[in-house]
Amino acid sequence: MSLAGTNEGRSHDLGEPLPAIVLRSSEFRRGREQGWRDLEALVAKAEKRGIGALDVSELQRLPQLYRAALSSLSVARSIALDRNLLQYLDNLSLRAFLMVYGPRQSLLEGARDFLTRGFPAAVRAAKVEILLAFLAILAGTLAGFFLTIGDEAWLAALIPDSLGGGRGAHSTRQELLDDEIFAPWPGFARSFVVFANFLFQHNTIIGIMTFGLGIAAGAPTVLLLAYQGLVFGAFIGLHYDRGLTLDFLGWVSIHGVTEFGAIILCGAGGLVVAKSILFPGRFSRVENLAINGQTAARLAVGAVAMFFVAGLLEGGLRQLVANTEGRLAISALTMIAWGCYFSFAGRGARA
Amino acid sequence: MSAAQDRVDQLLGGARRSLREIVTPEGVALHVELAEHGERAAAFLIDLTIWLGVAFFSYLVVFAVLVETRAFGVVVTLVLFIGFFVRNLYFIYFELAWQGSTPGKRINRLRVIDRAGGPLTAGAVIARNLTREVEVFLPLGVILAAGAGGVANFVLGVWLLLLTAMPLFNRDRMRGGDFIAGTIVIALPKRLLLADLAEQNARYVFTNTQLAAYGAFELQVLEELLRKPRTFETAQALDGVCDRICRKIGWTGSVPKARVVEFLTEFYTAERAYLEREQLYGRARADKNAKPG
Repeated sequence: MSLAGTNEGRSHDLGEPLPAIVLRSSEFRRGREQGWRDLEALVAKAEKRGIGALDVSELQRLPQLYRAALSSLSVARSIALDRNLLQYLDNLSLRAFLMVYGPRQSLLEGARDFLTRGFPAAVRAAKVEILLAFLAILAGTLAGFFLTIGDEAWLAALIPDSLGGGRGAHSTRQELLDDEIFAPWPGFARSFVVFANFLFQHNTIIGIMTFGLGIAAGAPTVLLLAYQGLVFGAFIGLHYDRGLTLDFLGWVSIHGVTEFGAIILCGAGGLVVAKSILFPGRFSRVENLAINGQTAARLAVGAVAMFFVAGLLEGGLRQLVANTEGRLAISALTMIAWGCYFSFAGRGARA
Repeated sequence: MSAAQDRVDQLLGGARRSLREIVTPEGVALHVELAEHGERAAAFLIDLTIWLGVAFFSYLVVFAVLVETRAFGVVVTLVLFIGFFVRNLYFIYFELAWQGSTPGKRINRLRVIDRAGGPLTAGAVIARNLTREVEVFLPLGVILAAGAGGVANFVLGVWLLLLTAMPLFNRDRMRGGDFIAGTIVIALPKRLLLADLAEQNARYVFTNTQLAAYGAFELQVLEELLRKPRTFETAQALDGVCDRICRKIGWTGSVPKARVVEFLTEFYTAERAYLEREQLYGRARADKNAKPG
């Protein structure tokens, strides 16, 4: 760098050439800029048209250029004070990072992976919570049963009208048998309505709520579970008084095994969330929630899938199999099937 | 994650987004800008509109097919069914296929990322979107069914609304689903690499004592000012800055108005060269108040 002659009035004109100023950051930038520009073009292309738009050689270069950009960023942070350069590299590295470490599964792969591995593993990981949720429902059921056989006036208090479907203390044995337990199959369209209402008007909402309310430290979850048990127990009581216990159990358990399983899993998911908030251990509450939250969410997603199965069983199979022995056999089969699935599926695979 | 706001932006009144830091698996810290509430609401509204459009369209199709043959109840339940499927699959599908963004998020340049800087897993995407049922659609249902009334429904409604408003109550603007999945939503602008400001042919010479007057912060404020489009206001600001620099470093010569930009660019170059050299020797200086050396 030489001193030109236009420096009028300068106080430091020494009249001789100074040693040239070497801007290391500019040298550094000149050497690496092409790599950054290449990476930027790749990332922009993938952002615009999806990562599938990159061909094989581009896909191979992406992680290399990404790591080069990261190393450039680290160097730039220690030697450069050019704000634009630092922000550009920070931004470019982030965009490339999101490309390189983005989700690698499609929806179908995710679903398959979830069903063969994630869901049963989550169930096995939450044994204690599942036991707790089961006990909450059991306690509710026993309470509902004994209250009802003591005094049928409890029925009106325990069973909301929307669930009662006209059943109550006034129902006779014959009415229950004809209209409920061995009602004729109403045809495909009506069964579908039963199935869909089942999903959207009651059970899935209850299930998702038992899960979602886990964020409130678990108390609402346990209460909701116990309440489900109360309603169920009251229904058993109603039929017990009319000598229909076994027929009712056959009628309800054909889908009830799956349904109660799903509710228990939702509740267990809520309890996993509650536990990670209440007892964070050596992590912060928020960190711990992130660690355990995915187990909880897996339980809830799996439970929704189970609700679908239960809906199919209720809408279709129940009215087609019109005898108690057959129904009990099917419910025993579902119980064994779920038990095997949760115990053995995906055990060999990596976690 | 550390919370910070960019000092230079704060001073110059630029973008006011809060910054967070994530650490990539390679161990390099990257800065991310948290998405604003308004941006997220706008993105969600766009997605909601698309969902309603698809649901409405499917309603028309189903209605046209079934209205003559079957009961009305079947149509309604079928539509509810499709609506439930579409809204859950929509978010999960796009967040998986588009690296953590949906059409609404893409228009607003938002992304879902893992809070700790790890890869965004399918499990996390599913978890954060399933929770949306409880956070958004359930309260919507309760509000829409408000006619049913009842104290219990009212309490439930308030409680669910609080759940919906959760992003307003925490520093990282996470909703319930973000807590459970360990994610945050960030804004991802595209930054351009501009030409280096450093000047090659120097006409002014500054001594080390003069250059020691400032630190990195002042240098970067000057850079931002020099990079601004040359309007009348910028010119005035540059004049003011030039005067103050001359006074601070004891510059005895005069700088004519026409040469202010040239002078400041050269001062910037010399200052940057000086500070970068000092930083290399382990004497980094954050701003003019930091102790020299």
